[in-house]
Amino acid sequence: MRLLYIETYKLFRQSRTYYAILALFFIEAIVLLSAYYQGTGIIDIVLANLKDTFYFQGKLLNGNLIIYFILNSFWFHVPLLCMIIVSGMLTTEYQEKTLQTVFMQPVVKWKYLLAKYIVASLFTIFLVLLLALTSFILSYGIFGKGDLVVYTNGLTFFEHDDAFYRLVYAFLFGTLSLVFFSVVSLTLAVLLKESFKTWIAAALFLIVSTLLLKIDLGNEVWNQIAFFKLNNTWQYFFNHDIEWNTIIINSVLMGLYILVTMLVGLFLFQKKDIG
Amino acid sequence: MIYCERVHKKYGKVRALHNVSISCGKGEILGLVGANGAGKTTLFKILLGLVTADSGEVEIAGDGAKKIGGIIEKPALYPYLNAHENLRLFAKMQGANSSKQDVEASLEQVGLPLNRTDPVRNFSMGMKQRLGIAVALLNNPSCLLLDEPFSGLDPLGIEALKQLILDLTQQTQMTILISSHIIDVLSTVCTNLSIIHNGEIVQTGATSTILAACTTSYSLCGSDIKKASFLSDYDTVSNGDCMTISASATEISDIIFKLSQQQIAITSCRPVLDLQQLFNPKEK
Repeated sequence: MRLLYIETYKLFRQSRTYYAILALFFIEAIVLLSAYYQGTGIIDIVLANLKDTFYFQGKLLNGNLIIYFILNSFWFHVPLLCMIIVSGMLTTEYQEKTLQTVFMQPVVKWKYLLAKYIVASLFTIFLVLLLALTSFILSYGIFGKGDLVVYTNGLTFFEHDDAFYRLVYAFLFGTLSLVFFSVVSLTLAVLLKESFKTWIAAALFLIVSTLLLKIDLGNEVWNQIAFFKLNNTWQYFFNHDIEWNTIIINSVLMGLYILVTMLVGLFLFQKKDIG
Repeated sequence: MIYCERVHKKYGKVRALHNVSISCGKGEILGLVGANGAGKTTLFKILLGLVTADSGEVEIAGDGAKKIGGIIEKPALYPYLNAHENLRLFAKMQGANSSKQDVEASLEQVGLPLNRTDPVRNFSMGMKQRLGIAVALLNNPSCLLLDEPFSGLDPLGIEALKQLILDLTQQTQMTILISSHIIDVLSTVCTNLSIIHNGEIVQTGATSTILAACTTSYSLCGSDIKKASFLSDYDTVSNGDCMTISASATEISDIIFKLSQQQIAITSCRPVLDLQQLFNPKEK
């Protein structure tokens, strides 16, 4: 508990943490502003034919659609931001050599890193919570309610009430994927020690994971259990029928990947010299 | 007590330490002298448990949760926190007392002002060194390791730090190991010296004995020193009001005596060390 308090205290005493939160709001603001000024026109062009055929409750460019747009930052922007901040929890300590000062005190190495992993995961959850809360409040406040139209394999429509709980679940289960990326970035920091190297490796990991998601591995089992095939689990909530079994299995697997990545990091950190 | 025996360490193919043995008893101050890259920091990191030796034995004797404290190279502190917060954080981390009174007592012990509440990134090197020592002293270790504590300090800072180190040994009987290449400073603080060269300990002994063995000339300063005609009997090199004279300790005493008889005032007498003799005694 002592170490958890210390890590949280350090995290929130550093200006870069607040820059990250500001960056998150900046992404959100861009989505909201671009939707406000240009969104209606684009949506009208895309769905002009459908509007003649179907009846939609409310405007098509509504709060639900905007939240869905913001949710799509889970593919790259939000995980990258999390990875940069979280890896910095360790790389700055290597860089400023405070890690040496820490381990000149009677502090157990693996416990210290475990506290970082836990605080990093909690911070990621906090960021998602902040993003979810603000996006729901601002999107509904500015754009109002209405049916959600989503294009995945084809166009799918959800009534407002249905859309709301699907978006909430998507945020909830998407968090697991973000926690995974945060934990990976901290493990990369253990390996690479330097900020820039870790950022590049983290960005590369994220890009490759996203690319591999679309690639067929030619084996049904690997297609189901490989970690990069699990990152889109939150998208399953926008299929017409929610496949709860797949979502739960994917989430358990993702939880295991998080655990294994942490254990690898702890093992390497315990074995490595600090100096 | 700090003790290590036959310690070896390699970084890849580079030999950092070879068969290093040192020992420093309770209440003693041992100076580790060596040029840059001689292996001082590696040895300190091994003693502090930051780096694992390839082979050899290390023993740090002491009571309590923390046997040894130290600073490696420069004091590494959280730059965005102030001195009070840094101390509180490091104290909490190891379960030591972290109350306001305890933190203030630690600051006072190293002579830091209590009213500085700005982040330590604004501190001078001397203040950072003091705060680093305060962190090292948390939880009352029996041994203290200071790696290059005088580098980057002005003369006043060096004097203040020297006094702090001497006070610590006198008041707490702490075992202190200091590394530096500033031999002048070490000679006034350390009871014993170990000379490290290319990762090997080449000499160990009482400070006065080692320095005397390596002193082959002295630098005498005085405004009228060039008027002393008898100095032409010695090998001398003039530099302004100073003169470097090749002479033994006995001879230099005679020279000073003669100079005083001739009413030539001497403002300083400084031994000039033969560094070749200091670092490579076997080659001489």
